[in-house]
Amino acid sequence: MTHWMFDCREISRLVSMSMDERLTLYQRTGLRLHLLMCRYCTRYRRQLFFLRELMHRYSRLCDTRSQEVRLPPETRDRIREKLRQAAAGR
Amino acid sequence: MDLYADALYGYALARLHDPSVAEDLVQETFLAALGGVAHFRGRSSVRTWLTGILKHKIMDHLRRKYREGPRRDTAPDGREFEGFFDEHGAWKRKPTRWAADPHRLVQQQQFMETLFECLAELSERAANAFIFREMEGMTTDELCKLLDISATNCWVILHRARMKLRHCLEVNWFGNTGKEGP
Repeated sequence: MTHWMFDCREISRLVSMSMDERLTLYQRTGLRLHLLMCRYCTRYRRQLFFLRELMHRYSRLCDTRSQEVRLPPETRDRIREKLRQAAAGR
Repeated sequence: MDLYADALYGYALARLHDPSVAEDLVQETFLAALGGVAHFRGRSSVRTWLTGILKHKIMDHLRRKYREGPRRDTAPDGREFEGFFDEHGAWKRKPTRWAADPHRLVQQQQFMETLFECLAELSERAANAFIFREMEGMTTDELCKLLDISATNCWVILHRARMKLRHCLEVNWFGNTGKEGP
């Protein structure tokens, strides 16, 4: 299914690019017109933004959840020892 | 140190998914902090300050790795996504509807595991590009510098990562068999 001047392959590229960069007027217009007519590309776009939203939330979740992650005790001891040496050497 | 070690470790682990590298970077962070404690002015919390140092350490680590590593995945390839589109450039496997809420989905450990398994199927560079762009909101400028590539290649890599990740999730999580969804 092709709509206007861009096919779905090209639109998928523009959708991704539009998430990182400002498109040219020509690209924006082509993208908008295509999306109006193509529900699969519309879905594709929505899902990429869905993944972006998800990763944002994941980032925040990791920050609040980091209490649950424990640095292994051996590593903790190793770091403490290194710090002690470094502090003594200063 | 005890107060922040776990938090820093969690931060690094969430982004690198490599426990031994994460441990090393936490150690480097504390050592750097010790050396730079005079620069800490109390303008931010200690945790924010340490996280800032760690973030730099993570970037340095990746930058070093990419400088040394092979670059075979950076060149745009015309035949890419052949399996995704037909000869007219139309979707071969049409994206199906995802009935899901990011808020709830992100709490499902199983889903996040699937997502990271999907990311692991990408090249490491592509997976990291996606993680730092979407998780950290890093600009493409910063990302290009980090990956040591041109802006065009940066977009290619992100495009590739998103396309493949979305596809992998559709197959492995949203569990559609290629039939058109509602």
